[in-house]
Amino acid sequence: MTNNDIRKDEYLHCIRCGLCLSTCPTYQLTLKETDSPRARVALLRAMREGLLERPTDYTAAQYFRCLLCGACTFICPSGVTVDRLLELTRREMAELGLMPHPLVALNERVVEHHNISGEPNENRLMWAENLPEPPSGIGRERAEVVYFVGCVSALFPRSYRVAQSFVEVLERGGVDYALLGEQEWCCGYPMAINGGLDQARETIRHNVEAVRARGARLVVTTCPSCFYFWKHTYPVALGEELGFEVVHSTEFLADLLEAGRLPLRPDLPEQVVTYHDPCDLGRKGGVFDAPRRILAAIPGVTLVEMEENQEGSHCCGGGGNLESFDPEMSRAIAARRVRQAAGTGARVVVSACQQCERTLFNAARTERIRVRVKDITEIVLDALESRDQ
Amino acid sequence: MEELIVKLKEILGPDKVLTSLEDRIAYSYDGTFAQNLPDVAVLPESTDEVAVVVQIAAEHRVPVVPRGMASGLAGASIPFSGGIALSLTRMNRILELDEGNRTVRVEAGIVTADLQAYVEERGLFYPPDPSSNRQSTIGGNIACNAGGPRCLKYGVTGDYVLGLTVVLADGRVLETGGKAIKNVVGYDLTSLFVGSEGTLGVITEALLKLIAKPQFVRTARAEFPSLDDASRTVNAILSAGIVPATLELMDETAIECIEEAMHLGLPLDVEAMLIIETDGSDEEAVVREIEAVARICRENGARAVEVAQSEEERAELWRARRSVSPSLARRAPNKLGEDITVPLSAIPEAVRRIKEISARYGLPIVIFGHAGDGNLHPNILFDKRDPEQWARVESMVGEIFDVALELEGTLSGEHGVGTLKRPYMEEALGPVSLDVQRRIKQALDPLNILNPGKVLP
Repeated sequence: MTNNDIRKDEYLHCIRCGLCLSTCPTYQLTLKETDSPRARVALLRAMREGLLERPTDYTAAQYFRCLLCGACTFICPSGVTVDRLLELTRREMAELGLMPHPLVALNERVVEHHNISGEPNENRLMWAENLPEPPSGIGRERAEVVYFVGCVSALFPRSYRVAQSFVEVLERGGVDYALLGEQEWCCGYPMAINGGLDQARETIRHNVEAVRARGARLVVTTCPSCFYFWKHTYPVALGEELGFEVVHSTEFLADLLEAGRLPLRPDLPEQVVTYHDPCDLGRKGGVFDAPRRILAAIPGVTLVEMEENQEGSHCCGGGGNLESFDPEMSRAIAARRVRQAAGTGARVVVSACQQCERTLFNAARTERIRVRVKDITEIVLDALESRDQ
Repeated sequence: MEELIVKLKEILGPDKVLTSLEDRIAYSYDGTFAQNLPDVAVLPESTDEVAVVVQIAAEHRVPVVPRGMASGLAGASIPFSGGIALSLTRMNRILELDEGNRTVRVEAGIVTADLQAYVEERGLFYPPDPSSNRQSTIGGNIACNAGGPRCLKYGVTGDYVLGLTVVLADGRVLETGGKAIKNVVGYDLTSLFVGSEGTLGVITEALLKLIAKPQFVRTARAEFPSLDDASRTVNAILSAGIVPATLELMDETAIECIEEAMHLGLPLDVEAMLIIETDGSDEEAVVREIEAVARICRENGARAVEVAQSEEERAELWRARRSVSPSLARRAPNKLGEDITVPLSAIPEAVRRIKEISARYGLPIVIFGHAGDGNLHPNILFDKRDPEQWARVESMVGEIFDVALELEGTLSGEHGVGTLKRPYMEEALGPVSLDVQRRIKQALDPLNILNPGKVLP
């Protein structure tokens, strides 16, 4: 089911069984009912039925404290698409003027600067500047594939590595690709989940036109949120077919590896890794196999799963813009996930999301947990024969 | 009330005392459709803190309603209108595992499934398995004396409680029981608090008995074209001297609902299914028993019997049973799940009469449950927004209880009384029993501040 169709009275189908409490990262952290999906749905119902007549900032906060990770939707025995319901409630809160200030500011930055960090949008290719050679995708007017880098990998220096590694792999694989540079605008996902889907329509239209102008048949993203939003929300928001496919980099890389287009080094070291499923890619986007196919294709890599994996994965703490709204809670949830990862005995946590990578890395550092955190594109690049061979 | 809240905040700290309307709504409900706002929700983290809360409540004559994860199905943890909702979820520590004596001491707020996982990693076993084991706490299980499928062979929650720490209505802390298995010194106060639904004291810690984990399990599912045959088979298995770990019944409406929700490939042309499990530490015996069970099923009219050959197949067979209750929500906005028990020989008659009630009132009743111990869960499906339907439901509930009592059974096997079954207590227990219970309540809670308005009419 696409998350876009939802019954208006779906909250009535919550039978208050409480099963969602067992998987909700915010409830598990505070053990306070108000931080549970069941309570968030109960508050929505209370607003509809008049028990809670005037929602306040504190009402809104209950929805913005949610990671929108969808663990509740997955486990809900009554089939309530809880995360979607809560996302729509965020929109209602925004319409009532109750969007929290840090998130209002975030949306304003995106409208004004076309990116989440608020710096000039022409900085979008700074990550490419210290590569040995400039990526061939820069300035390409026609290409088969567009690599949509996403704000975090393009503008947060800590995450440059994701874009750098992925582009390097594309070069090795001889892929005909284009980068949009400053013509790439924030995909609109952060605005939409803050409750500003209407604010995002211009950026959605712009991005789709930019891809169409290059005649591309495929958009690839390394960011699972961009992927999810492009793939599932763009066509609905525009009310038309996009005219090209949208895939995540893991799907693209798995195909390249299996087609033998990426020659691997013969002397790869043994390493035990665990894989963290990003919520937008896995549970919400339905991509579980591709990253595991990649890890299976690299000799020497042994994958050990965490207990909470695939559809049952536990959010890294970076979902739902929680990091902008309540950084402390976000960090605590990340720490829980890193401890789970370290508990598998793996020395490396692999993810396929720059946001997961960042939150997990920071948690590992502050909690002094001895695991390395890597994006899967880095794992692939490390396994390739070097260019001059 | 304001003075009380100020005092609570002073002593517990503001983080543990919630007074906003949003927080009060979050602490207003349980697993039923009932709802009442408390004045304040408190989240103590120790027995001492619970004692302080109860003392302050006693001073101010304010009701205290203890609560675990609020997944109960009888309304027992719904707040009194106003008063204090006392949440024990943050008291979730394991205090002592004694592997030599196979006991564990825990705080009341530990999630039952978490405790089970913890002891099973160490080769031990805590058998009581309410279907809500991921969203209910040991304290709540004890307060409602929760059952579950495995209770047929292993007994209910109360059978595993060796001792309790209880905060009494005046704030004193009572310790009952201990690690000694046999103990007849004085009245059995542990048993008094088991199933007391928070009306006699607040359970804050429990000493639980564990057993060695059974090494082998076999699971079978049998399909019966006739519901009567399925009901009869339950007793036939037990009469043959086999005590399965579980013996679960689902009727055709339950099967349809699960299939609609889960698409497991269940047969839609049978009237009932039984799920039967044998377990133990001798693999041959376990296999022999499940084979005997399969034979008895066939002899009593089963069309097909499937025995799980692997852990995955076993999980698959169980998925159906575990999804029953929630799957019903897709049929109708509300369900009222009853919990009657009848003597084993009366199961076919009980099922027949309940189906007849359903037909007469024109609302679906789904029947499933732990047929092996005579505990049936007839669930009425309805829409509470329609007052006419709700009126019908209320009459139907009365008639279902009449069926149970006429067949020498009772109102509740494992959910408890709460508010929902309270009106029927007099009929179920008679005046003498009620009088004794009222005196116990008065002795332990003279101010009637502990979960007032529950259990006793």
